[in-house]
Amino acid sequence: MPSTTPTARAELGAFGTLASAASAFALGVRRNFANWPVLMGRALFYLVAMAVLSALWDKVAAQRLSGTLASALPQGGLTLYVGATEWIALSIAAIHLRLEDDIRLGMLEPHLLRPKPYLVQKIAETLGDSLARLFGIGAAALIALALSGRAGPPLAAFLYVAVLGLLAVTVGVLLMTLTGLAAFWVRRVLPPYLIMQKSIFLLGGLFAPISLYPGWFYRFAMWTPFPADLFLAGNQMIAPSAATFAVSAMIQILWIAILSGLVALVWHAGLRKVLREGV
Amino acid sequence: MAIVSVENLRKDYRYVRRKPGLARLFSRDIQTIQAVDGISFQIAERERVAIIGPNGAGKSTTLKMLSGILEPTSGAAQVLGFVPWKQRRALAYRIGVVFGQRSQLWAELPARDSFALLRRIYDVDRITFERRRSQLVERFGLGALLDQPVQRLSLGQRMRCEIVASLLHGPALLFLDEPTIGLDITAKAAIRDFIREHAGAEGQTVVLTSHDTRDIELVCDRVIVINEGRIVVDQPTDQLRRLFLGHRLVTLRSAAAGIELSLPGVTRRTTEPHLSIFEVDTRVTRVDVVVQAALALGGIEDITIEDPPMEEVVRAIYDANGAR
Repeated sequence: MPSTTPTARAELGAFGTLASAASAFALGVRRNFANWPVLMGRALFYLVAMAVLSALWDKVAAQRLSGTLASALPQGGLTLYVGATEWIALSIAAIHLRLEDDIRLGMLEPHLLRPKPYLVQKIAETLGDSLARLFGIGAAALIALALSGRAGPPLAAFLYVAVLGLLAVTVGVLLMTLTGLAAFWVRRVLPPYLIMQKSIFLLGGLFAPISLYPGWFYRFAMWTPFPADLFLAGNQMIAPSAATFAVSAMIQILWIAILSGLVALVWHAGLRKVLREGV
Repeated sequence: MAIVSVENLRKDYRYVRRKPGLARLFSRDIQTIQAVDGISFQIAERERVAIIGPNGAGKSTTLKMLSGILEPTSGAAQVLGFVPWKQRRALAYRIGVVFGQRSQLWAELPARDSFALLRRIYDVDRITFERRRSQLVERFGLGALLDQPVQRLSLGQRMRCEIVASLLHGPALLFLDEPTIGLDITAKAAIRDFIREHAGAEGQTVVLTSHDTRDIELVCDRVIVINEGRIVVDQPTDQLRRLFLGHRLVTLRSAAAGIELSLPGVTRRTTEPHLSIFEVDTRVTRVDVVVQAALALGGIEDITIEDPPMEEVVRAIYDANGAR
């Protein structure tokens, strides 16, 4: 017979959902550390990418052409900036592909037969995955920075970036969740994924701070969620301050709230479709 | 007392048929398929019921509606006092579901981790969970496999884990959709034995769909036959077995051009050069007797024993009942 009465379960309510989400989160973390060769490979890829990008940006910075915005950045600042944005971009687990598989191949059905919300579980699991990657790639980045002899930002900047990085990954996971949920309507999420990915790269400032873009473009980008995914955290590596840190964190939290609402809306629309039409 | 009650349940699927060329831009041709067409039945507590039928008959659609993951077009149903499609999550605590072709485990993780997460998902207290897990793992001989990633398990091993996963929260009702599909004979037997014994011991009600008539014969005490979305037959398995389920097909590949068997209850189905197929009525002659007789003739290169296809069984039932 069931171990907990329906009344007791109703009382568990949100706490039960949180507890199961916490378990899913822990499972995501464990899975990454269990697959440590993959995590190591990811960290190695990060180091290779950074070796190329730092050579490129160091050469640009060496020109220090007067009158350009790049010349206003601290020496080696672009490399540090890209180090942070790449760290975040490579840490975001591919929830869009998992959602696509579950929705398109009908694997959603067993999950819908469970008492806890599928999407909350899936996002929690993906956040666990992403946290483990943040940790693994972050450790590699710090070691590489120490070994390179390159001047880093003040210590406080690392703390700011760590906090903003966590929030940034949450924003990124929610953006990718929206992309994955498109599978309810388009089945294959590659087209929406490409649009989302390029938007993140361009408007989020993956390879260069969006503050270097023309003013109108910067202002436009700041109205989108993409800088909350990359730029706001990366910016702390070139212009760290407690004030911008606090504002950045608030912007990220605001976007997390907005995107969570959007994800919930899209999920419910998709779920209605599946419950009505079948998988 | 009925714990599943279905009244005139119907499900229509609509889809857009694409027109060729530019016509598709200007008009949509919407087609409707009646997957389930007004079925009614009740299932009592502790009953083990098979829902069978050919592909596309409406079995899985019925199961999905009863478990709450598909809304009907019309009609009513109650499962354990819940309206499934309106109270899906509340019902989920009381039912266990196994899809033979869809895994509920996390492929890259050991089954132990999946079970632990399912404990949280179903709010099972630790002591009850550990007691239940130990019993199920021991019964299924899964001890050595618990720490292997599920993706490295064989299909039979994975299916045993799936069944354990569906029972950890102590469901009162078990839905099994093709639980033995793709398994070898030994694995099928182990799963059938387990379902029958466990459901009997725990007082669980079982609703099973399968293409394998042995699943039905060995697990269920009642059979509902569905064809084209309608119930064709609803009767005890014993009654159905006497009429339709006691047949096996024995295929003999031989060095000689053909094989002659003259045994009661054995009829020749087809003969091709070096290949003979016999239908055996097992109530009259056992399959081992037929095999021995064939081997005694000499020159047998290969023997296959299988159930008649479900489509044939259903057609026979359908014809016998004159329902159309």
